[in-house]
Amino acid sequence: MAVLDIRNLIYWYRTRRGAVHAVDNISFKLEQGETIAVVGESGCGKTSTANAILRLLPKNVERYEGEIWFDGQDIMALGNEDFRKQVRWKGISMVLQGALNALNPTVRAGAQVAEPLIVHYDVDRDEAMEQAIAAMKRVGLPQDIARRYPHELSGGMKQRVVIAMALILKPKVVILDEPTSALDVMTQTNIINLLKEMKAAEGLSYIFITHDLGLASDLADHVAIMYAGEIDEIGPADHVFVHPKHPYTGRLLASVPRLRSEDAPEFIPGAPPDLTRPPPGCRFHLRCPVAFEKCGWVAEEFVDRLRLLQATTQGKEGFPRFSEVEARGTQMVVLRADSDSPETLAASFSEFVKSGRETNPFLKSVRSVDAKTKAVAVTLHEGAPPPLIGEEWRAACWLVQEATAHDTIPA
Amino acid sequence: MAAPVPIGLKAALLDAVRTKSGMVGTGMLGFLILLAILVPVFAPYDVIKAWGGTDAWQDNPKLAAPEWSEVFSGGKHLPRTIFLTPAGTPGGFLKFRTTENVSDGKGNWNNFTFLGLKKTFGFQADDFPSEMTVYLNTMFTQAGNLSKPPAISVIFQRPDNKNLTLLDDTPRLSTTDINRFPNTKSNAYAVSQPIKDTPSYKILDNLREWLIANNVTTRAEAYDPQFYVQPEVLLFAQLDRSMLSKSTAHVLKGDYSLRIELVGFENTDDANARGIVFGTVFGLAGTDDARHDLLVGLLWGAPVALAFGTAGALVVVLIQMILGAISGWYGGAVDELVQRAADFYLIIPTLPILILISLLYRPSIVAILFILVAFGIVGSTTKVVRSIVLQVKEEQFIEAARSYGAKKTRILFRYILPRVMPYTFALIALTVPAFIFLEASLSFLGLGDPVLPTWGHTLGLAYNNGALFYGFWWWIVFPVVGIIFATIAFALLGYAFDKVLNPRLREQ
Ligand SMILES: Nc1ncnc2c1ncn2[C@@H]1O[C@H](COP(=O)(O)OP(=O)(O)O)[C@@H](O)[C@H]1O
Ligand code: SF4
Ligand SMILES: [Mg+2]
Repeated sequence: MAVLDIRNLIYWYRTRRGAVHAVDNISFKLEQGETIAVVGESGCGKTSTANAILRLLPKNVERYEGEIWFDGQDIMALGNEDFRKQVRWKGISMVLQGALNALNPTVRAGAQVAEPLIVHYDVDRDEAMEQAIAAMKRVGLPQDIARRYPHELSGGMKQRVVIAMALILKPKVVILDEPTSALDVMTQTNIINLLKEMKAAEGLSYIFITHDLGLASDLADHVAIMYAGEIDEIGPADHVFVHPKHPYTGRLLASVPRLRSEDAPEFIPGAPPDLTRPPPGCRFHLRCPVAFEKCGWVAEEFVDRLRLLQATTQGKEGFPRFSEVEARGTQMVVLRADSDSPETLAASFSEFVKSGRETNPFLKSVRSVDAKTKAVAVTLHEGAPPPLIGEEWRAACWLVQEATAHDTIPA
Repeated sequence: MAAPVPIGLKAALLDAVRTKSGMVGTGMLGFLILLAILVPVFAPYDVIKAWGGTDAWQDNPKLAAPEWSEVFSGGKHLPRTIFLTPAGTPGGFLKFRTTENVSDGKGNWNNFTFLGLKKTFGFQADDFPSEMTVYLNTMFTQAGNLSKPPAISVIFQRPDNKNLTLLDDTPRLSTTDINRFPNTKSNAYAVSQPIKDTPSYKILDNLREWLIANNVTTRAEAYDPQFYVQPEVLLFAQLDRSMLSKSTAHVLKGDYSLRIELVGFENTDDANARGIVFGTVFGLAGTDDARHDLLVGLLWGAPVALAFGTAGALVVVLIQMILGAISGWYGGAVDELVQRAADFYLIIPTLPILILISLLYRPSIVAILFILVAFGIVGSTTKVVRSIVLQVKEEQFIEAARSYGAKKTRILFRYILPRVMPYTFALIALTVPAFIFLEASLSFLGLGDPVLPTWGHTLGLAYNNGALFYGFWWWIVFPVVGIIFATIAFALLGYAFDKVLNPRLREQ
C-alpha cells in the first residue's frame, strides 16, 4: 500500500490579477521506501505542491481541494490542530526550499534541530539537545556544531542541519524541496549521498523536488514531470528518462548539457505560461514542437502567432498579404486585405497554411478558410486538454494516446 | 563596506558598545552608575529624608557659592564658615567658672556663680561673612522668688580693640518650667539679621551706640529710619565711615574673640556656648536658600534620574514592544485594536494630564512612574516594533517554524521577539532621556515628588527663588549639567545601537 496517495489535488492562489492555478488537479502515489522526483521548470508549481501536502497555506488561498491519503487516512479531512499534531513533521516532514538560508540566525544549530521535538513532544531542553546532537551525528555533523550559530556554518553543514531537523521526529515521508540548489557540485553530491544513506537506513520515502534532471535520475525510483501546474508525465524513472513519452519531457531531457557529447543542449523556446490564465487545451501547446489540431489552439493565440510571423517574415515571397487580423470568439480569426479581394487572400492563405504547417505548428489548427464578402474567415479546430493515459507510466499528450494505440514511442 | 547586522542581542550590545559613541555613552553611563552606587555611601538615605526639614542644614551658610568659585573672584580669599565649638571640645570655647558664697551678716548667704566663655578666632578673608549666630545653653535654678535667673553679656572683641557688647540678656523661663530643677534654656542669638522682639534685637541698638561712641556716625543719623545696620559687615570692618556700606567697607583682618559673661545667683548655674560665623562659599556645589548642601541633592539626583528613567523606559518600551509584536504577528482585529489604541494614546497630551493629576494628588515619584506607564502601554514603539515584525514575519525561518508545527505564540516568543530585542534596546536607550526630562519638567513645575531632591526639583526651586536674577548660578548650572549629562549618555548609547542595527547609518 502506498504510504502517500494524492488524488486530484487542487491548490490555487488568489491574486489581484486572478487565480494562480499553481497546482491543478494533480495525483500521484508514493510507495514506502521509494523516492518520487517532481521535476519541472521553476514556477511550475513544485513548491506549491509540497506546501499543499503539508498544508502550509498563505492567506491568499483561492482553492484547496482533493484527497491526500497518508497511512490509510485522508489527511485533508483533518482539522488544523489535528493536522499540526499528527501529520506535520511526525508523519511528513520537509526540507523547505532554501531552508539552509532560512535557519534562525539567532538560535544555535543544536537548538534549532531540537525545536520540532520541543514543539511536538514537550521534552525538556536537555533531553531535546541530547537527541538533537544524536540526530546531527546521524547526518554526519560533529557535536561541536550544535553550539554554533548558522552564520558560522558552511552551506553543506547548514543543509545537514536542516536535514537533521527534518528527520528528528522520524517521519515516514520527507519532502525535499530543491535541497541542493544553493550548493556547489561537490557538496551537492555529498548531500545526495547522505540522503541515499538515510533512506536506506531509516526506510524513508522521499518526495524529491528538483529542476535538475541529473539529480532526479540519480535518486528517484519514480518521476513526475510537472508543467504549468499539471503533471505531464509520471512513471518509473528508468522508463521516463530513457524513452520519454511526453514531448515536454523529451525537450527537458534534451536541454540538459551532457559532458561527453557533441550535441549542444537544446533550449525550449518561449517562456512558461502565466498561471493566472493557463493555456486552454494542452498547456504545453504554445511551446510544443509537435503540437497539432487537437492541442487546443484558440483564436487569440493564433492571431498573436500570426502577427509575430508577419513581423519576422515581412514581405517575403508566399506570405499572404493581409492588412488586418482579428480574433472573433475562440475559434474564428478574421483577415482583411487592402488590395487583394477576399478570394485572393483566402487562396494565398490556404496555400501558406499548407506549406508552413510543419515549421509553424500553430498553422495546423486551421480547419477551414472561407472567403466572405469583405473578409476571410479562418475557422480553427476545437481542442481539449489531453488526459493522463496509461497505467504504471502515464503521460498527458494527444500524441501519446495515439502512439499507445499504435504501440510506438514518439521520438 | 558595511559589516553584517550582528546576530542576537549580545552581539548587538557588544558591537554597539564598541562604536565611538557607544564607548563614550557607556563611559558616561558607567560614571552615573558609579555615582548611584557610591552616593548612598557618601550621603545615606537619612540625609535625603531630612531634606525637607531645616535642622540638618542649619550650620551651612545660606546661598553660598561653591568654594572653588573663589578662583574666579580675582585672587580674593572668600570667607569659609568658622565654627566656634563649645567648651569641652578640642579648640572650643575656653571656660572660666568660679562660685562664691557671700554672707550678708544676718545669716543669709548669697551664692554667686561667675562664668566666662571665650573663643578667639582669626578672620583673614577678603570678604565679610554672610551671617553670624551665637547659641547659648544656660543651666540655672529659678524657683519661685527664691533665686533669680543669671545675667548674660555677649561681648565681641575686635583686633583693633574697639570691642563692644553685643547684648545683655536674662534667660527667663515660662511659668510651666519654673519648678523644675535645674532648669536649662537654649537661646540662639542671630547676630546678623536679628528678629524684632527677641533679645538679640538689641544688637542693632548696641551697634548704633558703638558707632556713635567711635565717632563713625552721629546720633541723629544712627537713629534715622533710613539707617541700615548690617552687623556682619560692621563687626568685621575697619572702623571708619566707609564701614557703613558693605560695598565700601574694608575687612579688618586679625584675631577676633567672642566672649560670654554670666553672673548666676546659685552655685549650680552653668552655661556653654557655640557660635557660627557663616562664610560665603561652601562645598563643591554651594547651598540653596534653605542651606541645603546642593552637592548632596545633586548626587542623589543621579540614582533617582537613572532609576526613574531606566525603569520607566524599560517598562514602557517592553510593554509597547510586546503589544506591537502581537499586533504585527496576529494581525486582523487584534492589530486594528492595538494600532487604533496607539493612535489614540499618541495624541493624548500626557504632560498636561500628568500636571492635572499632580495638582490634585501630589503623587510620589513611584506613583508618577505608574501613571506614565499607564499612559504609555501603547505608543510609537508599538508602531515601530509592529513594522519590524511585519518584516521579520516574512523571513523564511518563520515559515520553517510553521512547517514543523510550532504554534503561533511559540513563534512569537521564541523567534520574533529575540529578533526585535536589539532594536528595542536602542529604543529603550533613546526613551530614557524622555523620562528624565519628563520627571524634571514635573518637578520643575513643583509637581514632582514632594520629598526627593531630584534635579528638576532643585531647578524648580532655583527658578522660583529667582536664582537666575540674583546670580546664584550654581543653583541652576549643576542640576542642568546633571540632566544634560544623563541625557547625552543615553542618547549616545541609543545612537550607537542605531548605528549597529540600521545598515544605512553604518556605512562609513
Ligand atoms: N503565495 C503565493 N501567492 C500567489 N502566487 C504564488 C504564491 N506562491 C507561489 N505563487 C505562484 O505560483 C506559481 C508556482 O510557484 P511555485 O510552487 O513556487 O513553483 P516552483 O516551486 O515550481 O518554482 C508561480 O507562478 C508563483 O508565482
Ligand atoms: S498534447 Fe502533446 S502534442 Fe499536443 S501540445 Fe501537448 S504535448 Fe504537444
Ligand atoms: Mg520552488
